[in-house]
Amino acid sequence: MIEMFQTSIAPFFRILLTGLRLGLVAGTASPGLFAQEVEAPAVPERIDLTNFPGELVDQVVVPIPAEIFAVLDKLDEPDWNSGIDLPPERAKGGERSVLALTFGSLVAEGFIAVQAKNGEEIETIGRRVLSLSESLGLAAAVRPHSLSIIEAAGKRDWEKVREEFDATQETVRTTMETLRDDELSGLVSLGGWLRGTNVVTAFIGSSYSEDKAELLNQPGLISHFREMLSDLRGVSAASPVIRSIGTGLARLEAIIVEPGGIAEEDVVQLRDISRSMLEEFYFNKTATAESVSVPVP
Amino acid sequence: MKPKYKPFAITAAILLSLSGVVHAFVNEAISIALEAATPYVEQGFEVREDNWSGEVAPGKPLLIRHQLFRGNEYWFWAGTSWPGATVKIDIFDNEGNSVGLESFAKRSFAGVRTLPQKTATYFIRVVAAYEKKGAGLTAAERGANDPVEGVGEYKGVVDWGVVYGYR
Repeated sequence: MIEMFQTSIAPFFRILLTGLRLGLVAGTASPGLFAQEVEAPAVPERIDLTNFPGELVDQVVVPIPAEIFAVLDKLDEPDWNSGIDLPPERAKGGERSVLALTFGSLVAEGFIAVQAKNGEEIETIGRRVLSLSESLGLAAAVRPHSLSIIEAAGKRDWEKVREEFDATQETVRTTMETLRDDELSGLVSLGGWLRGTNVVTAFIGSSYSEDKAELLNQPGLISHFREMLSDLRGVSAASPVIRSIGTGLARLEAIIVEPGGIAEEDVVQLRDISRSMLEEFYFNKTATAESVSVPVP
Repeated sequence: MKPKYKPFAITAAILLSLSGVVHAFVNEAISIALEAATPYVEQGFEVREDNWSGEVAPGKPLLIRHQLFRGNEYWFWAGTSWPGATVKIDIFDNEGNSVGLESFAKRSFAGVRTLPQKTATYFIRVVAAYEKKGAGLTAAERGANDPVEGVGEYKGVVDWGVVYGYR
């Protein structure tokens, strides 16, 4: 009975309640009213993170590539169209862990195309997202997003397209978690992060500045992904692709944690390593590509 | 009451009577946090779909780790749906220094804004508070109705949710 309520009626109530609340918040939370009604809380100037008297939340939210792209746009004028690199579509099916990684990278490709305001590429990626979701058995959940992406791209509503790519990734991840496929959910985030990092390093490598290179200072995220891969069990854990990605992450981490900032040659290395990692599941392998199976120094 | 308003009134009554049940299935804390974010979307903030949520003993602080990028401006919004509970949110750098530039807290929702001075991991602190307990609760405070099959009953924890936006 409760389950039936959850699946059939709850979404309706959510919409209704949100609508009721919106009326309330629109009247109370507008910036102009805050000064009169809302308390500005007292905040300690400093807290002791080494002896925090509470609970550390273990859930990690991985930034979407668009967050980093937004900063790059403020620092420079990257030619985002040159960053789009949609590989040929592969035959349907395959290892689910590889499909999950690919899905994340494909969504990141979508974010690059949005930055480039390239409606044609966005529509192609929107269709590919749906096709890949069929291989993952998630087409029903993804179809509405895919259609919205294509429609918004047609209207050149880039903000809406960006929202829908974010929503697509979130829907896939939460659906996987509902199906007890938590491991795959994390791989979607990893695939997206890797493609985003690769295009950012390519741009920074071609027009280096310390300000831009600082964007790559993400040791916490790399550490999270390494931990996530080491926790994988079953078929995914034994996958050669996953093992190569794990090795690649260790190499990225070794460069980023070095003291003294991220130098130009570091950025080039990060670009090449991330490219090699993507060639394990997303891009076709190139003859010159460096293998990521080289042991960590 | 005019007959034409009756269907609406009946629907509203059913909705209100079931609101305690709805609390159990919908992430209301996130909905409230998103509602707090609404005015800022008009100012150009893009609100992420991904978020943090859970349940916590009232007064026990939570610490969320999150990667921020220098050059972006961020707002974090917190919410709780437990009737009578309040929530506060603030942000610190990786040395524990407060880096919030602006904040607000109004009962069930709160927000904090920051402009990171470096690209790094930051710490968002959330505290959900609730003072009344057990028999001291009114029916409304328990969730508008008597609990149904344990749903809506106060069990020593309150819900919380955090969303964020950037521009």
